Amino acid sequence: MGHLGARDLAVTVPSRTLLEGISLDLRPGEILAFVGPNGAGKTTLLRALGGVVRPARGSVLLDGIPLSTLEPTARARALTLLAGAPPPPGAMSVREVVALGRFPHRAWYDWRRRPDDATATETALSQVGLSDAADRPFESLSSGEAQRAWIALAVAQGVRVMLLDEPTSHLDVRYAHDVLALLRALARAGATVGVVLHDLAQAGAYADRVALLAQGRLVATGSPDDVLRPQSLRDAYGIDFEIVATRAGPRAYPAYL
Amino acid sequence: MALAAIVFGALALGLLVGGTTIAPAALAHALFHPRDGGDVGTIVWALRLPRIAIGAFVGAALAVSGFLLQGMLRNPLVDPFLTGVSAGAGAAIAIGVALGAASVALPAIGFVAGLATAFLVAALARRGSGLDAERLILAGVSLSALFSAIVALALTHLAAGNSAEVLAWLAGSLAGRGWTELAWTAPYLVVGFALAALVVPALGTLRAGNDVARALGVDLPRVQWLILAASTLLAAAAVTLSGIVGFVGLVVPHLARRLVGSDPRWALPASAALGSALVVVADAASRALFPPTEIPLGVLLAIVGVPAFLYLYLRPSGAARLWGT
Repeated sequence: MGHLGARDLAVTVPSRTLLEGISLDLRPGEILAFVGPNGAGKTTLLRALGGVVRPARGSVLLDGIPLSTLEPTARARALTLLAGAPPPPGAMSVREVVALGRFPHRAWYDWRRRPDDATATETALSQVGLSDAADRPFESLSSGEAQRAWIALAVAQGVRVMLLDEPTSHLDVRYAHDVLALLRALARAGATVGVVLHDLAQAGAYADRVALLAQGRLVATGSPDDVLRPQSLRDAYGIDFEIVATRAGPRAYPAYL
Repeated sequence: MALAAIVFGALALGLLVGGTTIAPAALAHALFHPRDGGDVGTIVWALRLPRIAIGAFVGAALAVSGFLLQGMLRNPLVDPFLTGVSAGAGAAIAIGVALGAASVALPAIGFVAGLATAFLVAALARRGSGLDAERLILAGVSLSALFSAIVALALTHLAAGNSAEVLAWLAGSLAGRGWTELAWTAPYLVVGFALAALVVPALGTLRAGNDVARALGVDLPRVQWLILAASTLLAAAAVTLSGIVGFVGLVVPHLARRLVGSDPRWALPASAALGSALVVVADAASRALFPPTEIPLGVLLAIVGVPAFLYLYLRPSGAARLWGT
């Protein structure tokens, strides 16, 4: 459970084609990182995978069922899309925000709260290490803490598939590590994680597989070592890359000089 | 509990205050023995009870309407008249008076025109299957400006007696309203409050923004149309009953959120309760301050309410911000 697949996906807007011929799979227990230059279609692909953007052709399958046939709440019990860093909600505690994750587990007009709503909320808070901050105003959280709180919301939501659009691009290296390590722990516990990353080093270090996009097409999918090669990266980004030896093995870095 | 006590106290005050002084004991007797008749019975049952009932419903309707729109647009400056309900109704009533329409027909004319204006604003604000917040605000503000201009034009050309009728309506008042008017608007109030209750859980998720709400499985277009329908019906019913009573729909939601927090499960009922109490008390004051003259309700609320609100919210100690706690 938690298998998300794209089959020959195309997304168009009136004037042009944003994505063309995308087929790929996100599997339970794995982090799949989407990389590629700005405008390559990473965010559009993530939104199509999350059911926010309706594809012009092809389909997105969640455990074999077309995503477009699911009711919004049924979809939200299985899959969520976290868009970048949402603006912090005012006048809400961290716990209140995380508790919103229980919305799809009730009828949409139901005011009541059940005991398992509170249990799920507290479990999610402790899983991301924010139990002590639960009563603080959400606005008082640092960027890194806020990102963990949004992930806690997805955990409380009980989804098997988490799609995240650049969750680390505004974080310093330490908080970026926090967030990516948390995502890796969730994946190891069985979650399916798809994440857009700009930092190729982060993608190489944390992703199980990498999907490289350029100009609306999927250039390569595979293990980080297979995809993050100087030649394919140069084709995608238009600048030179060189191999740098690191403790974790050889890695491709932009040849800035 | 505290809110229920506030509402109850406001209703009692509204019953006690009026042109004729009635002892509380006689008042209670008339209230609980409606068949006894007599002058006191008539005053209580035909004048004061319908008036406080209308005041309570107008206050609750305006406050809930404003709360819904502020929550959907996440904009603290929005009030129930954003969608053009009051301006459209005002223009139609001014035109109706100019054309010699009978006074009894004016509320119905205003109601229909208010709904029609909101419908036009919604049509302009449509994007895809849902609503666009910026388009809604722009369409509402510009159509309101247009219809206000029509009202001003009508006022400058109406005979003095006729313009007074329009002005009285624009200033907002509960004078002369009775059970008939309330019965006539009751269906719209019922539907409006029911729709408002329906969207409360979704409104809670909208506090975190549209993207998060969508990710939580909120059917945004459906919720947006329900919110717009509820707030429009409530505002149109209130405008029909009382003319234009400003301030309540803008300010009461802020007070409610400050008292009980931003969760609509608490803040929406609190808005309704505070709105009721505020309008009933203000109406009692409008009758009691300078008898036998009544100060128009909308005018009184603005003159007393705005400075009080500004003091509470904008004083340098900064105890509060407009949006939030």
